[in-house]
Amino acid sequence: MAENKHDLKEQVRELIYNTCIHLDDHQWEHWHDNCADNFNYAIRAFSPEVQADIKYHGGDKEYMQSITSMLSKHNSDQSPLRRHCTVYRVEIAADGKSAAAISSLAVYQTQLDGINSHVDAGTTSVFLVGRYNDKFIIDGGSIKFEDREVRLDTRRLDKGTHWPI
Amino acid sequence: MSSRNHDQWNATPDLQQGEWVDSKIYSDEEIFEDELKKIWSKTWIPVCHESELKEAYSFRTMTVAREPVIVVRGKDMVVRAFLNVCPHRGNMIERRPSGNYKRGTPSGTPKTMTCMFHAWSFDMKGKCVNISRKAEGYQDRLNESQVGLRELKCEVYFGGFVWVSLNDDIGITVEEFAAGSLDVLAPSLNQEPLEVFHYHKAIIPCNYKLWHDTNCEFYHDYLHYHNRITGFNEAYFARKNSGFDGGHINVGSFEVQYDNYEGSHSREELSFPHLPPNHWYMIDMFPGVNFNLRGSALRCDLMTPLGPNSVMIEFRGLGLASDSKKDRQTRIDHHNSIWGPFGRNLHEDLLAVTGQGSSMHPMAESRKILHGRHENETIHDENGMRHYYEEWGKLLNRSPSNPDEKFKPYPAFKEQEAQRAAAAGK
Ligand code: FES
Ligand SMILES: [Fe+2]
Repeated sequence: MAENKHDLKEQVRELIYNTCIHLDDHQWEHWHDNCADNFNYAIRAFSPEVQADIKYHGGDKEYMQSITSMLSKHNSDQSPLRRHCTVYRVEIAADGKSAAAISSLAVYQTQLDGINSHVDAGTTSVFLVGRYNDKFIIDGGSIKFEDREVRLDTRRLDKGTHWPI
Repeated sequence: MSSRNHDQWNATPDLQQGEWVDSKIYSDEEIFEDELKKIWSKTWIPVCHESELKEAYSFRTMTVAREPVIVVRGKDMVVRAFLNVCPHRGNMIERRPSGNYKRGTPSGTPKTMTCMFHAWSFDMKGKCVNISRKAEGYQDRLNESQVGLRELKCEVYFGGFVWVSLNDDIGITVEEFAAGSLDVLAPSLNQEPLEVFHYHKAIIPCNYKLWHDTNCEFYHDYLHYHNRITGFNEAYFARKNSGFDGGHINVGSFEVQYDNYEGSHSREELSFPHLPPNHWYMIDMFPGVNFNLRGSALRCDLMTPLGPNSVMIEFRGLGLASDSKKDRQTRIDHHNSIWGPFGRNLHEDLLAVTGQGSSMHPMAESRKILHGRHENETIHDENGMRHYYEEWGKLLNRSPSNPDEKFKPYPAFKEQEAQRAAAAGK
């Protein structure tokens, strides 16, 4: 069991890291494929201004699929976002059927068309920092996201983005 | 003529007064300073909502026309506003965005606002209650009654928004200032207490008026796939734009077809009191405030101009304080799907004004910014912006289309048409 747990932890880490690549590269379908049917996604931050936890974005799997499938119809800032993620902690449930993970996250934005491309394109800045708080369902050989909370420290997103984080 | 050379580009457009403005009003430092002095320091601004100050001794801090401001709720539950400036040596008294003075601070006792620097403290009515080592330093030459805080005009009005004015001589209430522009939403907002459920802010490199313009004109729905597909029908094009004294405007409602957007659903299950399901009203208040009610969620934008090419926009979302958990979640999701920092429309609006901001600079060849659409004061008419700039011109005594010249009142559009026809010898 101990060894099996170790393997599962490694698989969870791998899934989180692979998902970073999928999201970085807009491989939205791969992302959705790795989410369970009851998946829920939310971006949240605590606002010290109004002393409340604020949900900025999110919904169930169907909603997130509709978000990504409609992207091409929307005008968006196409400046790429690149994640730097470190998985800090993975916990496998005693029954081996679920897992939870906390990862530290920084997302960098490299300007393309967001401002004045002649001057700004190629400039990288920190778009946001925060954490991924993830929950997983483990079913035999497969591990899927059941819940992802992107917990933001950054609360000035300025122009914002259409892309899930 | 197709493309234009310098002279043609700079020529007066073949439009009537008020139908264009000079881009200098969006980039000039001197005009910006003039605006802070003659507009922003003189008017009423809804700086926060009373639900952000639920308990006695709670406070919120903000900036109005560069002045640091603090709003506190007294133990008598009255909300008061003060300059957040210590009368001793001018330190900013409170540095946190919000909090409660029931707990003491490192320099001060509970239930006072205490300046950390030399520990002078003030009660919730702005009265100085302690000058540290007063007798030793001031003997009997100065006492607490001489060093109270600078109190500002403050009113709680329109669904619980907290309005502040730096202008002691404003001489009008918020209701008088609104001049009827808030009436359309007053029954919906005043029926029962509201509560803020969303707050985020953005600092955008553009002039504050460009954001206000975008809130005032709906012609830009071409920018938004969501609004085209859920609007753009007969009822949409019949929505009225109407002006009120003081440069405020209303945009009339219609029934939004949310179902038309793939993955989106009608919002008829939840609305605001007295608001028909899926309806959408908008109030744009001079000089930089917007109330936007889409059925289930109220949005309020407050602009804080930071420079000719920089504005902070605070976005609030509000529901009813009595909301069940489920209803509140529905309101939040409806709000975010369009208006959150990851929402469909907000990102697009912010991109567009960033584009305007980056194309306008103080030394630029003037851009004649066109506000000339006339469509019977309906949704794609640009009368809202014309109405705003008439007030702006009056207050600054500058012509919006030639800001180095004095303001001349705009003739009514019909008169302008007649003048144009006469000039053309028709
Ligand atoms: S500056 Fe505030 S106590 Fe001295
Ligand atoms: Fe818009």
